[in-house]
Amino acid sequence: MSRDLAESAWRPADEPGSILVVEDEILLRMGVVEDLVQSGYSVLEAATAEEAIALLDGGAHVDLVFSDIQMPGALDGVALRRFVRERFPSLPVILTSGQMKPPQQVLGEDTIFVPKPYMPGELLRIVERAIEGGRRVAAEST
Amino acid sequence: MGGGSQPRVPEGREHSILLVEDDVLIRRELADYLRRCGHRVIEASSTDEAVMVLAHVPEEVSLLLCSADVAGTLTGFALARQVRDEHPGIPVLLAGNIEKAAAAAGELCDEGPELARPYDPAVVVDRIKRSLAVRRRAGGEDG
Repeated sequence: MSRDLAESAWRPADEPGSILVVEDEILLRMGVVEDLVQSGYSVLEAATAEEAIALLDGGAHVDLVFSDIQMPGALDGVALRRFVRERFPSLPVILTSGQMKPPQQVLGEDTIFVPKPYMPGELLRIVERAIEGGRRVAAEST
Repeated sequence: MGGGSQPRVPEGREHSILLVEDDVLIRRELADYLRRCGHRVIEASSTDEAVMVLAHVPEEVSLLLCSADVAGTLTGFALARQVRDEHPGIPVLLAGNIEKAAAAAGELCDEGPELARPYDPAVVVDRIKRSLAVRRRAGGEDG
């Protein structure tokens, strides 16, 4: 059983979950993190895709990756999503951007896209559904 | 980090600790520890991010905890000086190494909302060192 499936299966069903927020603009990142923390989620932060990969590679348990697409560094959010899909197949990814939505084949079939600016309530609903979906997939795969 | 009494989060200011550390594996453990003892934490990956926060929402910051050798246009020392000059109401803690940063976090927890440490700061140091060792073995660099 892969590590991500093992950890997802272990997670208590009633725990809101742990979210990795990847956003290079700190004021935006602060806002998202605060909304998620206030809603009961545990949050990890990354300023770049490279930081996000370091956290995931380091064994951080995450139920959802929420990432901006355009970020400085060698990797953008789309590349991060590819990494996540290869290493942690059942880990849901939400991508966000203030620019035009990339084609779905670029984003990936199962990747959720949320355009900026987003309303906090809307984002929280999408996050909750994505985590529930990811846990269902993980449970079905065990 | 200098000697003498440790800066404290001012009473009545239930805002955030601005944690400035460019190594995400170190920052994550410190931020998690501080959050577990009830503090709100703003994570900055560089002095540039910290300056942005202080420029736009200084009222959100109750204390600065900064690594001395953090990345950015300003050094950690220069950031600390700038905060002391421009935001004298914000206490500054400058940590020269992981052990000092963890010790500072422990003291902040003693005085934090939970008035208790979730676990010993030595555990934070141990977790950080293990994460850094895993990364080294995988071919990365120490933070």
